[in-house]
Amino acid sequence: MYTIPAENLLADQSEHHKDAHDTSSTSHSDAHSSSAHDSHDLSNVPKEQVFEHLLGELGDHHGLYWGPYHIADLPHMVYTNGTEFYYYPNTKALLESGKFTFDKKHQIISTATQEKPWFDLSITNLVFYQWVVMLIVFFVLITAGRKAKKAKGDAPKGVHNLIEVVAVYIRDEVVMQNVGSKKVGERLMPYFLGLFFFILGANLFGLLPGMHTYTGAIGVTAALAITAFVIINLTAIKEAGIKAWLHHLLGGAPAWLAPIMIPIEIVGLITKPFALTVRLFANMTAGHIILLSLVGLILFFKSLVWAPIAVSFSVFIYFLELLVAFLQAYIFTLLTAVFIGLALGDHAHEEHAHH
Amino acid sequence: MGELAKAMAYLSAGLGVGITVFGVGSGIGRLAAAALEAASRQPEAAGDARTTMIIAAALIEGTALFAIIVCILLAFK
Repeated sequence: MYTIPAENLLADQSEHHKDAHDTSSTSHSDAHSSSAHDSHDLSNVPKEQVFEHLLGELGDHHGLYWGPYHIADLPHMVYTNGTEFYYYPNTKALLESGKFTFDKKHQIISTATQEKPWFDLSITNLVFYQWVVMLIVFFVLITAGRKAKKAKGDAPKGVHNLIEVVAVYIRDEVVMQNVGSKKVGERLMPYFLGLFFFILGANLFGLLPGMHTYTGAIGVTAALAITAFVIINLTAIKEAGIKAWLHHLLGGAPAWLAPIMIPIEIVGLITKPFALTVRLFANMTAGHIILLSLVGLILFFKSLVWAPIAVSFSVFIYFLELLVAFLQAYIFTLLTAVFIGLALGDHAHEEHAHH
Repeated sequence: MGELAKAMAYLSAGLGVGITVFGVGSGIGRLAAAALEAASRQPEAAGDARTTMIIAAALIEGTALFAIIVCILLAFK
C-alpha cells in the first residue's frame, strides 16, 4: 500500500543494472528477481547487487522477516474495480488462486490483464510493526497514566517516572511555550503526547536488530503531516474564526493584492507539512542507509578484514541514530506546536491580555 | 536519454548534493555559533536560545531537504 521511493528508486536502478548485465549474462537478473522476494539470504547474491538487496530491506514486504529468517506470510487484501474484494491469508494462496501475481517490483498485479488492482490493502510488514508499536505505546502510556492517578502526591516510580519526565517536558517546554495559548495547548496535549511517543517508538523500534522503522516510509510520515496540517488549520479556524483565517490568507496586504497573495499563502500552508514529511522520512532513511552500506562493505568485498572497520563505524552511527531518533520525534512535535502558534497568531495573545 | 545526458544528470546530482551540504553546513554552523555565544553571555536564557536554535536549524534543514530531493530525482531518473 505504501510505495516507498527508496524501493522504487532501487527497482529503477536494478532495471538499469539489468540492462547492463543482460548483454553479458541473464542469470544475474534471474537471481535478482527471484531471491529478492522469496528469501533474504545474501550469500548467493552477486556482489554488484549487494547494496541494492540490503537497501531493499528498508522497503515493505508481504512477509514478516527477522533478518534472513522468514517468520510468517502476511495477508493480502485487494479491491478490484472498487467493488470486488479478495482476501488471501498468505502469498501461496494468492499465487494458487491464479487471479493475481507479482510484478518485478513485488506489486500485486492481475494475471489476466497485467494491471494493478484498484486498491491494494495488503498488510505489509511496516503496517504490522506499526500495530506492534501502537500497542506498546498504548499500554505503556495507559499504565503510566493509571499509576500517576494512583500516586497522587507521592514521588513517581518506574514506568510512571519514565513517562512523566518526558510528558512534563513536552507540556511545559514544547507545547505551552510555542502554542501561546494555555487553553488550546491543554486541549491539544493528548495529540502532542501521542504524536511524540508514536514517532519515538517507531524510531527506537527500528534500531532493534532485524526490525523496521516505519517512519522511514514516506506514506507514514505523509499521513502524520496531513494530520498535523488538519489540526493546525482546524485549531486556527476554531480559535480565531473562519473570517480571521481567511484574512490571514491575505498576509496583511491590501485587498487588491489578493490574486498574488492568496496563492503564495496557500503554498506557504502546504510547504509546512511537506517539510515535516520529508524531514522525518529523510532523517530516518539516511541513517539506515548508512548503517546498511557499512555492513554491505563486508558482503561486497567478501572478506572479514573489513569487519572491524565496518562494525566500529556502524556502532558510532548507531549511537548517532539513537540521538536522531529522539531529536526527530522532538522536532516533529516542536514544529507542529510552532505552526499552531503561528496559525493562531495574535489571537492567542489577546486571550492572555484578557486574563 | 543518451549516455551523455545520464552522465550529466549523475554529475549534477553529485555536485548539487555537495553544494547543498556546504551551504547548509555553514548555515547551521553560524546558527550554532550564535546560539552558543548568546548562551554564554546570558546563561539564564540558554533554554530559550536552544529552542529557537533548534527551530531555525530545522527550517534550514528543510530547505536542504528540498534540494536533496531534487538531486535524488536527478540521480535516479
